Amino acid sequence: MERMGSPVCHGGGMTLRTAKKTSGFVLAAWLCTLLGWVVITAAQEDDRGTIQPAQARQALTLIHARCAVCHTTDLIVQQRLPADRWTVTVEKMMHWGADLSKDEAAAVLQFVTARYHPGAPDHLPSIEEELAMIAPAGGPRQGSEGPVTGVASRGAGLYAHNCQACHGEGAAGGAGPKLARNTILKNDGAFWETVLHGRGPMPAWGAVLSHQEIADIHAWLATR
Amino acid sequence: MTVSRREWLRTVLQGIGIGMVVRPGVPSIASAQASEAGQGTGPLTVRVTRPFDAETPVREFASWLTPNERFFTRSHFGPPPADSVKPDAWRLTVKGLVKEELTLNLKDLQQLEAVTLTAVLQCSGNGRAHHRPKVPGVQWERGAVGNAQWTGVRLRDVLQQAGVKPQGVHVQFQGADRPALATVPLFTRSIPLAKALHPDTLLAYEMNGRPLPLLHGAPLRVITPGWMAESCMKWLTEITVRADETPGYYMQQAYRIPETTVRLSSGLPGSAMVPVEQMPVKSLIAAPAEGDTVRIGPVTIQGVAWAGEAPVVKVEVSCDDGKTWEQARLLGEGQPYAWRQWQFVWNARTPGPTAILCRATDAQGQEQPATSPWNPGGFLWNGWDRLSVTVAA
Repeated sequence: MERMGSPVCHGGGMTLRTAKKTSGFVLAAWLCTLLGWVVITAAQEDDRGTIQPAQARQALTLIHARCAVCHTTDLIVQQRLPADRWTVTVEKMMHWGADLSKDEAAAVLQFVTARYHPGAPDHLPSIEEELAMIAPAGGPRQGSEGPVTGVASRGAGLYAHNCQACHGEGAAGGAGPKLARNTILKNDGAFWETVLHGRGPMPAWGAVLSHQEIADIHAWLATR
Repeated sequence: MTVSRREWLRTVLQGIGIGMVVRPGVPSIASAQASEAGQGTGPLTVRVTRPFDAETPVREFASWLTPNERFFTRSHFGPPPADSVKPDAWRLTVKGLVKEELTLNLKDLQQLEAVTLTAVLQCSGNGRAHHRPKVPGVQWERGAVGNAQWTGVRLRDVLQQAGVKPQGVHVQFQGADRPALATVPLFTRSIPLAKALHPDTLLAYEMNGRPLPLLHGAPLRVITPGWMAESCMKWLTEITVRADETPGYYMQQAYRIPETTVRLSSGLPGSAMVPVEQMPVKSLIAAPAEGDTVRIGPVTIQGVAWAGEAPVVKVEVSCDDGKTWEQARLLGEGQPYAWRQWQFVWNARTPGPTAILCRATDAQGQEQPATSPWNPGGFLWNGWDRLSVTVAA
């Protein structure tokens, strides 16, 4: 669009012979500019247009898994901040130990800046509702993955990242129930149902953890 | 185009609303935490599910005392495990610049003279959602405040038992709550010694005549009457007398405002940042409620008003969106630190929509402003309270 706009700026330097052609060109450029303005306005209004579904999915998954270690994501969705304050906020969270790589933090920042800006509507879907819209419960993962065998050594780290904030160090309990020697570990149906789809205050992890990861966590919990 | 996209989004949102069926029998975090605290479910407006931050619907403020289970709750990390603050496991240590370090249990503390007073407790961020431009933080609207009767012992009596050394000029509080990650700074705060030694500054173990509930700081919390709630440390376990203000995020960066707004001069934000302390004068309308339809004829408008360390002397009400103001009647006797109920009978004559506003003035002559000075943390909102009603013929 900038390329189309430039003849307008430099039109004063053109000869008379090209004037007619130029006026048509100017009109076309003007129309393009107008159309561009409408498109940009619409994109700002509907920021879904500025975030590709794959990017949104990555950011939502990261927010659900990494930010929610310390606070539920409703705290994020209620903010309406300009880019500079979002930048400072994400930097503060990184400084405080949010488990995000540089690229991951950039993806989260891009998403929250586009979605939760000062002009955004008062009410927006929760992170969990957005995740459900992108990857409905029982999505493709569930069908494509068969029974998996958990590896306890991998489960320890996964547990620390995803579960420990609520279920405590060593699965000894905290805001959520103690999982070490919890009878749910012997009830596969209840365990998978709870982890995949959530239960009471516990969020659904189906869109965040793969079946292999859940099996790894289960295997590690069984050793506690 | 713009409108149709808005409508599209609204449709999507409505769809989600319909799809969000609350599964019966599944307890929410709110009810889980409330029952953990030995309470029934209160009709709180939840702002953050974990840590559980929830405000009281203002209709509750028709009552002078705010019931424990309906009192707003806010913390940075949620309550500590209930077992760690059970009276037999819990200890309070008093250390730092004192002549004798103390370790006290609840019974030791209760040997000291018991004091009961009624005081407003208000989150510094109450009303943050009204600040423009918007600021980050929990988007509290009107109800992160309540009025309760607190029973405990004087912090002064405990400090005198330990003996404050001459260099000690700040008193630091640490609670038993801990962040999920060790890399997050602890919520540690301090108050100047003068406030700590004030005879009305309490270490409270009862709230409205009942043992302090877990969500409100069991078994012991600080009450600094007239000051904002971040000084009122919950789950108190350590008191440290210091020569300086507590270092760290929650004292040196958070809960600070530009000095110019404190002095009510017209400087720009960015001047020296000072800690949030006293509550500014403020009033709220408890009834009618936002969006209510009232009948032509007499309409009783009621609410509450309070100020930091000065009594409220006047509440004015406008029933024509601020064009004219009339004085409301203050009810009962004024009590230091408690809020004052007020009432105004409005003779509604003109059918149609209107806005009801209220504003209070304290004994120091401070009047509630139409809107509060903006500050980067969104603290101390005390703009006129306003609600829309419709008069029906």
